[in-house]
Amino acid sequence: MATTALRHKNPGRGNLRALLYLSPWLAGFAIFFVYPLVSTVYFSFQRYDLFTLEPVGLLNWEYFLKDQAAWTAIRNTLWLVVVMVPLRVLFGLGVAQLVTRLKAGAGVYRTIFYLPALVPLVAGTLGFVFLLNPGTGPVQAILSAVGLPAPDWFGDPAWSKWGLTLLGLWSVGDLMVIFMAALLDVPKQLYEAAAIDGANGWRQFTSITLPVIRPVLMFALVTGVIQTLQYFTQAEVAARVASGATDSAGSVFTPGYPDQSTLTFPQWLFQQGFRDYAMGYACVLALVLFAVSMVFTLILLRQFRGLGQDIDGEDI
Amino acid sequence: MTRGTLLLWVARHALGIALALMFLGPLVFIALTALMSDRQALTSDLWPHTWNWGNFAEIFEKAPLLTWIGNTLLYSVLATAFMLVSSIPVAYALARFRFPGRRLALLLVITMMMLPPQVVAVPIYLIWARFHLTGTLWPLILPMLLGDAFSIFLLRQFLVTIPREYSDAARVDGCGEFRTLVRVILPMARPAIAAVALFQFFYCWNDYYGPLLYAGTDLDNWTLSLGLAAFRSVHRVQWNLTMAATLLAMAPVIIVFFFAQKVFIEGVKLTGVK
Amino acid sequence: MKRLLLFSAALSATAGLAALTACTAGTESGPPKVAQSGASHEPVTIEFWHGFSADNELKAFDETLAGFQKKFPWITVKPTKAVQDGQILQSVRGGNPPDVALSFTTDSVAEFCKAGIFQDLNPYLKASGIDPASLFPKVIAEYTQYQGKRCVMPMLADAYGLYYNKALMKGHQPPKTMSELADLAKKLTVKDDKGDIKVAGFVPISQMYENAPIHTGVMVGAKWTNPDGTSAIGSDPQWKKLMTWQKDLTDWYGYDRLEKFRKSFGDEWSAENPFNTGKVAMAIDGEWRTAMLAADAPDLDYGTAPLPVADDQPQRYGAGFITGTVIGIPRGAKHAEAAWELVKYLTTDTGSLVTLSNAIRNVPSTLPALQSPDLKKDSNFQTFLDVFANPNSTTLPAHVNSVFNQQTLQEAQIKWESGRASDLDALLAEVDKKIDEKLKLTAGG
Repeated sequence: MATTALRHKNPGRGNLRALLYLSPWLAGFAIFFVYPLVSTVYFSFQRYDLFTLEPVGLLNWEYFLKDQAAWTAIRNTLWLVVVMVPLRVLFGLGVAQLVTRLKAGAGVYRTIFYLPALVPLVAGTLGFVFLLNPGTGPVQAILSAVGLPAPDWFGDPAWSKWGLTLLGLWSVGDLMVIFMAALLDVPKQLYEAAAIDGANGWRQFTSITLPVIRPVLMFALVTGVIQTLQYFTQAEVAARVASGATDSAGSVFTPGYPDQSTLTFPQWLFQQGFRDYAMGYACVLALVLFAVSMVFTLILLRQFRGLGQDIDGEDI
Repeated sequence: MTRGTLLLWVARHALGIALALMFLGPLVFIALTALMSDRQALTSDLWPHTWNWGNFAEIFEKAPLLTWIGNTLLYSVLATAFMLVSSIPVAYALARFRFPGRRLALLLVITMMMLPPQVVAVPIYLIWARFHLTGTLWPLILPMLLGDAFSIFLLRQFLVTIPREYSDAARVDGCGEFRTLVRVILPMARPAIAAVALFQFFYCWNDYYGPLLYAGTDLDNWTLSLGLAAFRSVHRVQWNLTMAATLLAMAPVIIVFFFAQKVFIEGVKLTGVK
Repeated sequence: MKRLLLFSAALSATAGLAALTACTAGTESGPPKVAQSGASHEPVTIEFWHGFSADNELKAFDETLAGFQKKFPWITVKPTKAVQDGQILQSVRGGNPPDVALSFTTDSVAEFCKAGIFQDLNPYLKASGIDPASLFPKVIAEYTQYQGKRCVMPMLADAYGLYYNKALMKGHQPPKTMSELADLAKKLTVKDDKGDIKVAGFVPISQMYENAPIHTGVMVGAKWTNPDGTSAIGSDPQWKKLMTWQKDLTDWYGYDRLEKFRKSFGDEWSAENPFNTGKVAMAIDGEWRTAMLAADAPDLDYGTAPLPVADDQPQRYGAGFITGTVIGIPRGAKHAEAAWELVKYLTTDTGSLVTLSNAIRNVPSTLPALQSPDLKKDSNFQTFLDVFANPNSTTLPAHVNSVFNQQTLQEAQIKWESGRASDLDALLAEVDKKIDEKLKLTAGG
């Protein structure tokens, strides 16, 4: 092809040019990725409070094995990964299915369903906690009026993660839009042919829809997992508000209220590094988080080689 | 319409309306509470006894909301502008140049995109402490000059879909690579650029973790998210005022969404894979 | 080969950065300079972070600062309100501190001093010719220093006691022992027909505003730490006594009902505080509440008394928890000289201390101010002056992990009072373990 000849005219100059275009990101990669990772390993063997640096060998790593709160945080984060992520994907898919079927007013529905996804996390969380607050919120009153158990959602460790899950389901709009796009890509003729063969709705879904949208679902699951590994804001704000921490002398707020049931791993890392200034120990936690998120990143990369298709349609 | 399809139609819309109510319910509840009196907000009554429109004026007296809005805007606008300037060339090179290591570079962009920000927080914090920039929003804005992985990835995904013929044609007309980018490719990539800009803007507007880490110490440098999270305890106000402030933080996002809905939806689709 | 291009570029940049961040973030200040009288003064603006946030306190404190401004016209003070200890710590460690910072608690004094968050003020005191031993009551002199460093100065002190609403007490006298408190609390509680609490005699749970363990622990005289810094909580039977008492009374109400009731309260520092609005008959609170009641609920007829004590310790009645507001000059402060003028004025100027004490009803923190004839005394406030002077009153011993220790105990208390933990001994042993491990992590040993 002529274009190929054009491109390969002067490879050396081309490489230099690529380097020029890439240079901002290369610098960013060095400063905000490579360097911090290397020094995080270094700090994980130090006792460091931003003032004094003292090598302590494996002390931080040993403390990690004994730190119950860290393991509680790991369990909570895993809970969110195992329960909240799939539920969000399922719910998002269900809502997307519904909207694609609603011919009349589909645009209005889509707008309404997407809206909560845009609400700032802090604002949404505040509203939700208040909504579910016993004594002032309407949800408890409604539930007990119809005779259902009315839990103290964010005040009871058995329910607090479900409260966060509800919040996650409420803001499912982004997934819905991705799934809607995928669903609309499924060729109509396939459904028509299946209907002639007498396949019912569920069979149509499993044999036609699912295979076509499978990559999108997988992508949503994996990115959902990676996002959930960073889960911070909602848990922090919900716990702070629900505990009624007043910031008065002597009443101290610890994340995770109630009973560390909403303590996520990034929160504990933040607490150790930037509240207790056990920076060395925070680096141990950071490396653990790094390892876990790398595993999922690799899964993502393996699953989606197509991500790397280049402009000429070749896999790179 | 047969009876069966009619029933199905009714069932679907009934479900749709029920869901719509659930999605809108919290927002309505927040709005109603925002208009209640101090004391009523502490009861479980749903409907305001008196409509206290003055609550919206009062929050501006109680808290430096204008400062926070200004800070949030500064953060969002600068970060978005810096991100665009730095990320577009990178995405362009990754999408359209052939050079050794481009596969590796793309993999690394994806890896950075997936990296939880908490992993590298400690050393990066130390860098900014060294420059005495902790306590401000600059540690969140300045890095955007060095590209943002998510935006690079998204732009790159769009830029690969522009056939090479367009840039080749421009080159035949005597355009250099940079002019090709500015004159030919950028106008074609406008929807993608608008989408990443909006994403970046809203990411910053909503960000809580970043400002908490860097600007959390100094009230003058707080953003709306920070102010909102601490609103009740710092300003000694009741739920009604907190909800009024919450509504205020949501409003711009929702207004922009109504004007730019299409850009948004197209952008979200871009984040999926085909 | 060229693939390595990326990495080599990245690594060379890294090497440069490593050198950049190798040492500490903050900067050490030189020896103090104290202004000479009569010297000419450059105008200077100092940043001052403080914790006041209630409306009445902010107003009074602004007036105090105006008084300073008048005396030192070349120093402009830029105050920031509602600042928490966490913000102070982070700003100093992050290298961007204010010139003067004020903390409402003495919780962090050990950390402030040991890590050098605040500068040692002894040289300043010496240069200004101030003798802390003759100026401050002994208990205050104790909680403002750690291992020989006086890194903060006291600005007013706090004492804790029991507030009671006379109308709701129905003629009963304030309780002196914990059993009396529990009995009376039950008698004074009003429930509606659904069983929800309308008025609580006393809310016993630790999450209630001022019921934190540092305040309630004094009721039983419980110990926090051993001399070596390890936890004494599990081995001191007094904690068990206190928590069993709290749990019994909580169960009488029902934890869920109590929580529902608590979550309908207004903010502690606002006019909607449940004691102000008559939702609770008795509450633990500090002396400042008298000023807030005067401002927010002037018609409320109430009384104050020392905290009730354990039934077997009647001799300790009259004792309470004592703490204070402390103020200091952070390491790295840009205008230490002007900062010291402000600290000195706020902590040693008798007139200013008395005026502020009269306005926000805190206990004055210097001997001359305590004895000043201008200090307004009424019977409700006198209670707290007496608690303050009581030899059995205690403050929290300085500890580098003080905040963590409190968090750990309070978490355990919530678990216990909610019924989610049933073995109190095991729970407190767990608290010991966490505190001791943390001590090893942060301080060695």
